[in-house]
Amino acid sequence: MIPQSPQDRDFPWWLLVAASIAAYLMYRVVSDDLYHAVLTTLSKGIWVTIFVTTVGFSFASLIGLLLATGSLSRFLVIRQLCRFYIEIVRGVPILVLLLYVAFVIAPGMVALVNWALEGIGADPIRTRDFSLMWRAIIALTIGYSAFIAEVFRAGLQSIERGQIEAAEALGLGSWDRFRHIVFPQAFRRIMPPLGNDFIAMIKDSSLVSVLGVLDVTQLGKVTAAGNFRYFETYNVVALIYLIMTVSLSLVLRRIERRLRQKGI
Amino acid sequence: MKLLAPLAAAAALFATTALADGHMPDLDGREIVIVTENAYPPLQFIADGKAIGWEYDAMAEVAERLNVTIVYENISWDAMIAAVSEGQYDMGMTGITIREDRAEVVDFSDSYMTSQMVMLVRGDEERFTDAASFAADADLMSAAQPGTTPFYVTVYDVLDGDEANPRIQLMETFGATVQALRTGDVDMVLTDGTAGAGYVEASDGGLKIIGEPLGTEDFGFIFPKGSDLVAPINAAIADMAADGTLEALNTKWFLEYKLGQ
Repeated sequence: MIPQSPQDRDFPWWLLVAASIAAYLMYRVVSDDLYHAVLTTLSKGIWVTIFVTTVGFSFASLIGLLLATGSLSRFLVIRQLCRFYIEIVRGVPILVLLLYVAFVIAPGMVALVNWALEGIGADPIRTRDFSLMWRAIIALTIGYSAFIAEVFRAGLQSIERGQIEAAEALGLGSWDRFRHIVFPQAFRRIMPPLGNDFIAMIKDSSLVSVLGVLDVTQLGKVTAAGNFRYFETYNVVALIYLIMTVSLSLVLRRIERRLRQKGI
Repeated sequence: MKLLAPLAAAAALFATTALADGHMPDLDGREIVIVTENAYPPLQFIADGKAIGWEYDAMAEVAERLNVTIVYENISWDAMIAAVSEGQYDMGMTGITIREDRAEVVDFSDSYMTSQMVMLVRGDEERFTDAASFAADADLMSAAQPGTTPFYVTVYDVLDGDEANPRIQLMETFGATVQALRTGDVDMVLTDGTAGAGYVEASDGGLKIIGEPLGTEDFGFIFPKGSDLVAPINAAIADMAADGTLEALNTKWFLEYKLGQ
């Protein structure tokens, strides 16, 4: 059992202050026509932001887990391939990755698919059928999978060798060792940094606006271009992101606390 | 591509002859995918959550005259010319200045609008009154979004023709340049007359327009190289210019419509 830190027992004053600021801004949003108009426009982007983030994060976690187990594999080739991917991808800025996937990899993939389709005599697809939103999701997935892989690897490696040896002595196979011994314990240690990446991804999903994907940020950019009010528009943009990130953070802390209490 | 060229030539011929007897080419309900960013009022922008503007109205007219179905997609300005050039979309519209370097990668329609730049400054600006007095004082800074008309006019009509001139602060969006002007990071931003008037209106005296209009720019729609749409759309633009439709749109969006309210 990890002891409860005093931080957990503190009254969340910061949340009270944040909630009061949010309440004031919400009041402005309902009472002020300009704020209201901005929120109405931006609200369409909230679902895009949530969709891009959750889909991207799910795929990235899945790939990250595979990469982490791969980088701890018994086979040299798999280990080296995983390290290659992690180190290269982690070293490229997400924004660069986004533009690269959208305008180099995506058209390349379409050309490849068309080459295959031509082989079986089917109609070719067009690059535009590959929506910018999915190109953005793929880029975020690739970028975050490398970070998440490192989070998973650290968690898996933190399980003491002795436990694995004990499990071996009890006659558990490698899959059972992973499922019953290593993963449940590692997961509890992985949760906080993984949640951190989730929150970071909500914010990084705003980068998709460079492609023109209509998320909260892009709609904010477009709204400010039309109403000439930067201050008010970006207040609302920031408010929306904060509501998403702070609520997610609160949910994650709850889950963490429950995991600790259960002691799994 | 080689096959398309004679086709385009034929279409051009058809369009010209069609125009001569007052009939528009009929494209038979064909679907055209147009990309825009909705960040350039009053050409296209978002108001009350809806995408509206001069170009939307103009394309609705074009669609009727040519019998086409228009589908709109969104892309950022940064990515637009590249995406249209690759043929990912049939047409791009966002008040794009017709320029030779751009014409190497995309085809332009004829000009449908002529725009002039004005100098937007802070409301209390007294150090300069026009382009010449701005250029003369080396302490004065300007801001622009790279690759846009205000950028090129700042370089070639206001400053010394050096695109790397450190007196131009480059920014990601046009709105950010105006914000930098308001906060005092820069002293002047070029914008076309309408957007300038919108910013002045919304600033409560924080901004004003000075000097004479600069650098006349012609706007055209962009198409993938060799597109067979250029000729019919040019025919529609000529038709709309001839019967006063474009002038009516100018009155509606530049004079009657109040931006930023």
